[in-house]
Parts: sequence; structure tokens; C-alpha cells
Amino acid sequence: MDYFVLGYYTLLIGASCLAAYYQQRPIFMLLFSITLVSFVMGIIGGKEALWTTTVVAASIGLAAGTSYGFREFLINISGRETQKMLRTAPLTASFGMFIIFTYAIMGIFAPVIAPYGEAEVIGGAFDPPDENMLLGADQLGRDMFSRIVYGARNTVGLALMATGAAFVMGAMAGMLAAVKGGWFDQLMGRTADVIMSVPSLIFALLLLSIFGTNLTVLVVIVAVIYAPRVFRLTRAVAGNVVVMDYIEAAKLRGEGTWYLIRKEILPNSTAPLIAEFGLEFCFVFLLLAGLSFLGLGIQPPTADWGSMVRENATLISFGEITPLIPAAAIALLTVAVNFVVDWMLYRSSGLKT
Amino acid sequence: MKDVLIIVLKRLGLGLITLFVISILIFGAVELLPGDIAEAVLGQGATEENVAAMRKQLGLDRPAPVRYLDWLSGAVVGDFGNSLVSGSNVSEVIAPRFANTLFLAAYAAVIAVPLAIILGVIVALLRNSVFDRVANVLTLTSISSPEFFLGYILILYLSVKTGYFPAIAKLSSDMSLLEVLHRTFLPALTMVLVVMAHMMRMTRAAIINLLASPYIEMARLKGTPAWKVIVKHALPNAWAPIINVVALNLAYLITGVVLVEVVFVYPGIGQLLVDAVTKRDFPVVQACCLVFAATFILLNLAADVGSILTNPRLRHPK
Repeated sequence: MDYFVLGYYTLLIGASCLAAYYQQRPIFMLLFSITLVSFVMGIIGGKEALWTTTVVAASIGLAAGTSYGFREFLINISGRETQKMLRTAPLTASFGMFIIFTYAIMGIFAPVIAPYGEAEVIGGAFDPPDENMLLGADQLGRDMFSRIVYGARNTVGLALMATGAAFVMGAMAGMLAAVKGGWFDQLMGRTADVIMSVPSLIFALLLLSIFGTNLTVLVVIVAVIYAPRVFRLTRAVAGNVVVMDYIEAAKLRGEGTWYLIRKEILPNSTAPLIAEFGLEFCFVFLLLAGLSFLGLGIQPPTADWGSMVRENATLISFGEITPLIPAAAIALLTVAVNFVVDWMLYRSSGLKT
Repeated sequence: MKDVLIIVLKRLGLGLITLFVISILIFGAVELLPGDIAEAVLGQGATEENVAAMRKQLGLDRPAPVRYLDWLSGAVVGDFGNSLVSGSNVSEVIAPRFANTLFLAAYAAVIAVPLAIILGVIVALLRNSVFDRVANVLTLTSISSPEFFLGYILILYLSVKTGYFPAIAKLSSDMSLLEVLHRTFLPALTMVLVVMAHMMRMTRAAIINLLASPYIEMARLKGTPAWKVIVKHALPNAWAPIINVVALNLAYLITGVVLVEVVFVYPGIGQLLVDAVTKRDFPVVQACCLVFAATFILLNLAADVGSILTNPRLRHPK
């Protein structure tokens, strides 16, 4: 029993008693469950485990604080309508927005932020971190930190491009199918069914084995694989819009298909489409990361998070966490986007359960 | 009972047609190759005679539809031809590896399915409490993480730092079942984490949907005890969505296994596929894709049939 352990339990029990006294039931339940779990973990893992719990709790607290601050910041700089919307945002959503914002800055200003070039060899292979290299060197002696920063640009940029392509294809086909109906609708629908009945990673591997790996091929393949999902959603949303009276009126006015899509259907189906874009981005991002991890995505020497994990994986067996950092970067962005999408879906569906 | 049979048969037929179309897709994709297989395999330096000899050997001098029928009739009886790289029979290579993959998926499913359903129901009953929020954040995080991230974290903490489990899931034939289970625990756990999160979220959504329906409200208002509402009123109607959730996630297990197998160097079909793709060994790629697609379709079919069997309303489509 040293002072850390004593302080740890005093703090937890004290805080839960306070919460109970002020009738903060959820907070009390949370704190007290942590106390109970700590008992078990402390017995099994000793002081180490308690220390880990403290670090985790502190980082969650820090993240919550940052998200709170970021939300207040956004509320202060935005207009009246947006303000009202932002006030309802849960902390997870503003955390997501903060992370997305950080990644965007990192990607856009990569050459300014990164101390070295992405393919520049600085030191020996797997050099430990020092004052020059924040996170140490990778398997060829390149600066890990610079490569992660550049990775934000390459990996996320490619995923955005692929998602965009999938989205344009899927949404256009969906709206056309909804407006035209008939054989076009049937044909598109059945094609989408077939593509969706092959698992996406398997389909991507099949196509990559044939066309080889380069960026254009990657974007096109991913777009083809994910367009059917967008198609289905757009078809369903647009299908509900097409039967409205104002569409009938526009048709009677003699407006063409293109006008109908652009001016009548698109503005009335943006909300679900934006949420779908976020979800789709997550899927595409994870698929591309998986492909790069298998060595079939973005090719070296371009920095890419998925391949960085693969290249440095040997370090894991020496107990180093460096290879986990690019993987964590992938996970963090996906989580962030999912948090924001979760909130948007909740808002648009009006599900209050 | 007869109408159920007809619906199931119809669904089966539809599945077969989809599989047929996919087989055309898989075969046709290779036909799209710039040049042909012989040129792609032999590369740029090959002489004209070499390419011609290879074409002859692979039967590429025959038109594509004939070769397709040939391939399909072979595939139906489990003969996928020979590997371009090693020359060995593709089916003989795939069969033991597919068994390994199925074993791993089953291992993960046995742990994940009961746990996910129980936790999903609990979270649905505790909805909007702190635990629900925490579970929501945790499951979202688990879904969002790439499989290799989870896999390496598990390796780092459960294998390298503590040494509880081996990091590499190499199998040999003389291992006892217990040993195999111990060896494959980490890859199975990785898949459990991903799949369980999915299943929990879907189960929660299904149960919450149900609990909002008027007859549950009615049961509550007439004073039925809470457990009875769940067991007698909610659960019989929840089976359909739950079966759906389970089958969809099993399908995911079978295919999402590729990355996990590579991380843990597990001798499954996923790793075979990745190797074949890098070596451009087309017969193996085609066979693996067909096996994966067939499993995927079969499980989706099972999901449909399961929900039809448990939900009488679906037996009479409008």
C-alpha cells in the first residue's frame, strides 16, 4: 500500500460519495463501478493496472474537456441557426468534429508540419525516438512522425476521393432510377444486388489481382464496390420524394430529368445523404487501410498508414507500440466520423428511444 | 407448412441464380485482363513461343464461353483446375485451409453470439443510462478500429508483455484440441471483439424497436411483470431480427477473417487468397472468391429463411 494506491481509492470513493450525496445517480453509478472494477484489477494486475486506469481516465477527461471547449468555440463563431443545432450536440459528436478538424489541418499543411520529407532517410533502421525524431525511425530509417503526418494527406485523401467517386456514381444512378423507373430502375437494382452479394474485401482483392495496384485502379474499384450501397439509399430516399405533388407539378411544367434531379430531388434528400457519406467514408477508409495493410494499396515510398503498420509490425514482438500509432490514427479518424454520423442520424431520424 | 417450403425453395433458387451471376462475374473479370492470363503470368520478357505454349496448356485458344462452362462444371464438383504458380490441384490446397477458416469462425461465433445477444438485451433494457452510453462508445470504437489494430493490441498485451497466449497461430496436425484452442485464442478474440460490437448494436436496436410497439405497452399496462413482458411478449417477436443479426455477422466473420489471418499468420483461406493475389495466381483467386461468395450468400439465405420461419407474417408477402 503506497500513497498512490491510497490516494487513488480515496479520490474514487470520495467522489462517488459526493455524487451520491448530491443525487447525481448516473455519475455515482459510473464512479462506483469503476471503484469495484479497480478492486478486481488491482488484485490481479497490481499497481500497474491502477496506474493504467488513471491514465485512461485522465485522457478521457482531457478529451471530454477539449470537446466541451471546441463545442463552445464552434457555438461562438457560428450563426444563429447553427448555434441552436450545435447546442444539442453530445460531447462525443464535438469530439469527432475536433478530431476531423485536426486531421484536416494535418493533411492540408503536411509539408509545413512534418520536419522531414516522407521518403527522406534520416537515421538507422528502427532508431529509438530522440530530439530529432519524435517517434523514432521506421524500418528504413525514415522519420515516423513525418510519415504519419504525410499519411494523413495520402490515406485520407485517397479515401475521400474514392468515397466521392462512389457517391457521385451511386447517387446519380439512384436518382435517375427513381425518376425514370421501369427497366432502368430494374437493371440498376439487380446490378447493385449482385455487387453487394460479394463481400467487399474479397471483390476488391479479385479486381486488384487482375488490374494490378495503382491509385486510379484503387479509386475506381472502391467506387464500384461501394456505389451500390449509395444507390440503394438514394433510390429509397428519392423514391419517397418522386411521388410528391411538387414533382408532378414540375413535370407538368415540362421540366427535364436533369432539372428534376438537381432542383427538386437533391435539395430534399440532402440530410440522409450527408449522413450516408460519413458512414460510407468509414467503410471505404477501413477497406483501403486493410488493402494497404495487405500490401495491395498505396505503394511505397508514399507514406500510408496501413502499409506503415505492416512494415513496422516486427517491432511489436519487442514490446514497442510504434507500429500501433498509424493503426490508432486510422481507428481514431473512423471513430470520430462515426460519432458525428451517429449524432446526425439521431437528429434526422428523430428516434428518441 | 407447405407454403413455407415453397418460400424457402424460392429463396434458395434466387440464391443459386445470384451465385451463378457471380460466377460469371468472377470468371469474366479475369477475361478483362489486358492481354490474357498467359501474357500476364509470363511477363514482358516472355518469347512468343512460350506464351503460345502456355495458352495451349491453359486452353486459352478456345472461346471464353466454352472455357467458362468448362470451369463452372469443374467448380460444381469441386475441381478448380491447377495453380499457375505451384501447379498443384487448387481444391486440395483450399480444402484444409477452408476447414481451418471455418474452425476459427466457429470458435469466434461460439463466444461472440451468446455474449452479444445477452449484452445487447441488457443494454436495450438499460437504454439511455450511463452504461448504455458507455457501451455505445465502446462498441462504436470497436467497430471503427481496423481488425489489424485490435489484433496487434491483443498481441502486444496478451502475448508479448504477459505471455499468456502465442502471437502466431501456426497449427500442426498432432496438436490436441485444447492446444489448438489455446493457439487460436487471440485471432478468435480479435474477431469476437469486432463482431460482438456489431451484434450488440443490432440486437439493441431490434429490442428497442420492439419495446416501443403498442402490444408491449398494453402488456405493461395490464400489469404483467417486467420479466414476463420480455420473455412472453417481446422475445418471440425478437427472434426474427436476432437470427438476422447473427447470420449477417457470421457472414462477416467468414469474410472479415482475411485480415485477422494475415496478422496472426493463421493457415486459412484468407491468407491463401492474399498470397494468390500478390502472385497473380488466377485459378486460386477465382476459387477462393467463389468459395467466399458462396458462403456469404448461403449465410444471407439462412438469415432470410430463419426470419421467415420465426415470423408468420413474412410467409404471406403482399
